[in-house]
Amino acid sequence: MFAIIAAKDLRELTRDGRLLWAGVLVVVLMLTAIAVGWNRHSQVSNERSAGQALDYDAWLGQGYRHPHNAAEQGMHVFKPEPPLAIVDPGIEPFVGSTVWLQAHRQSELKFRPAQDATGLQRFGTLSPAWVLQVLIPLLVIVIGFNAMSGERERGTLRQLLSLGVPVRSLLLGKALGLASCVAIVIAPAGLVLAIIAVASLSPGERLDAVYRLTWLVAGYALYLGFFIFLTLAVSALVRSSRAALVLLLGFWVAATLIAPRSASEAANMLYPTPSRLEFDQHLAHDMGAAAGESWLANFGVRTQWDPSLPLSKWGAALKVDDEAGYGVLDKNFGSLWDTFERQQRAQQWIGLVAPVVALRGFSMGLAGTDFAQHRDFSTAAEAQRRTIQDIISKDLIEHADPLGNAHFTYKAGPELWVTVPRFNYQLPPVSFALAHHWPSLALLAVMFCLSVALARYAFSRPLMR
Amino acid sequence: MLNAIEVTKQFGANRALDKVSISVAPGDIYCLLGANGAGKTTLVNLFLNFLQPTSGTVQVGKLDVLHHPLETKRLLAYIPEQVTLYGVLSGLENLAFFSSLATGDRLSRPRLLELLEAAGLPRRAADDKVETYSKGMRQKVGIAIALAKNAKALLLDEPTSGLDPSAASEFSELLVKASNDRVAVLTTTHDLFHAKQTGTRIGIMKHGCLVEELRSEDISHADLEALYLKHMKS
Repeated sequence: MFAIIAAKDLRELTRDGRLLWAGVLVVVLMLTAIAVGWNRHSQVSNERSAGQALDYDAWLGQGYRHPHNAAEQGMHVFKPEPPLAIVDPGIEPFVGSTVWLQAHRQSELKFRPAQDATGLQRFGTLSPAWVLQVLIPLLVIVIGFNAMSGERERGTLRQLLSLGVPVRSLLLGKALGLASCVAIVIAPAGLVLAIIAVASLSPGERLDAVYRLTWLVAGYALYLGFFIFLTLAVSALVRSSRAALVLLLGFWVAATLIAPRSASEAANMLYPTPSRLEFDQHLAHDMGAAAGESWLANFGVRTQWDPSLPLSKWGAALKVDDEAGYGVLDKNFGSLWDTFERQQRAQQWIGLVAPVVALRGFSMGLAGTDFAQHRDFSTAAEAQRRTIQDIISKDLIEHADPLGNAHFTYKAGPELWVTVPRFNYQLPPVSFALAHHWPSLALLAVMFCLSVALARYAFSRPLMR
Repeated sequence: MLNAIEVTKQFGANRALDKVSISVAPGDIYCLLGANGAGKTTLVNLFLNFLQPTSGTVQVGKLDVLHHPLETKRLLAYIPEQVTLYGVLSGLENLAFFSSLATGDRLSRPRLLELLEAAGLPRRAADDKVETYSKGMRQKVGIAIALAKNAKALLLDEPTSGLDPSAASEFSELLVKASNDRVAVLTTTHDLFHAKQTGTRIGIMKHGCLVEELRSEDISHADLEALYLKHMKS
């Protein structure tokens, strides 16, 4: 019975023009977003893989030179962009993708603590995810606000109920009708994405993308289902279509436009992050202190690169100096990143009143464009830097000149450079994203169930008033 | 088939129905007369379970409407004063939709056309959008829905109000046909002529009470009018 109601609603919505105009707009935006995203992704991926290869080739081909000079020049590593960044670019546009692996310190990571402290989840980038998160709920409201109030106002509800249609079938039919409209609007984008996946991804990537897309579909289905049942509940509860529209639009503005920003600000107030200047000053202070202690313990001098230290010890000194910094860098960056993750967890809970907040985290996570995966890359890049440092220091120790006068004339060659492995970062698997974002999915499921319960309550009340 | 037993309906301080009892047997056409606000539509709404009685019992068949709302509705067909349909759908599509819900079957196009024709809607209008229909044409689609449902009882709320005499006459003929098919018909109306001509029984309501009940064959047009006016003025 509910399929009959859904088919009728779909036919009615198609004919009255609302679905056509709103749908065409959304389809055009979705396809534009995919086209822009695909173009950007292709360009970025090509540039990064080319950059990565060139940079490593340059490292290998740097000829004969002092190893420390080579370490100072370092190399660059490039973060691969996950294929589903086309769907949800997440924080990718706001964080760097390239890390300079230089001697002595962890290079500046480009999420800029001071500037992006509350902005990891910025709003407003045109992407399929943004359309799904912001515009599709609006579409649901625009086509569904009078699903029940309109039937009541026109008098067709009397006709329907007089036939002995169970309210449960009515609710399911209306929900299915709205869901069908959403599916029709989303389908072209889904088709295009499927073609892109088949045409451009390797079998391994394709399988991973399918897993990720399956979870994404589940998350978005819960989110849009929430809006569908909420719209039906409000339409059944209020006396007029106009009131239903005003209420639902008010909720949409609050839940999809205001809440994400407020959530971000609230999370930052709860777990404040330092400004960039503060962070740098604190890091420099800790690095200096740790190095001082280490130099004193190992070489009996209080200042780094003290002139009293024989040149033959410089290799060992480099190693001591670097290793003293590892712990400090881990502590400072770890603390900062932990704060970002605490902020995101705090934001997740705001998903209980504004499910878009929960969805955004989940969507970015499954697309591979969230902070957790950015952190994973940064950690891998730092590990590569330390590998280079350790290899260089080891080589300098091995080639230390006992007399000291040949220290700066020593030159290493390709046989040393090639011992530095190629940076081969693999994006974390889907289980990594799920481990980080299952609470968001659970919250979405809770919100969906609540909306269904509200709709059932609304439909169980006397509908003829 | 349709039984209201000592039914009272209270809306706050206002008593819309006061211990009303009526019974409509299969084949009866029971015409309920009364001024606006007399309680006629309230009684119809009780049979449809759109309202619940404050006291008393409302039955369709032998089933209590309150306890068997869906089952009793399946025995009924309802035609309101304004048959409300989906304007952007055609008459045929409206009939297909409502009849599918009512019967659980998808009727074929020829069968749907047959039903519309039986209800008096010209075949050429079947595929036009309902928003272009006159009130009479909509009523005919409503009748076709009732015919498709093959209901045991018909509830009609001022069905001929606003219809032209020809359409009202056609409508009366359909009621008589339904009565001949042993359908119980309860209709509210202001039209004394229609009540006398079509009804087998007539009830007059005033201020929520059933003040008069008689067989139409026992009274002339003139006497019915006089009786009605007497009750309205008293």
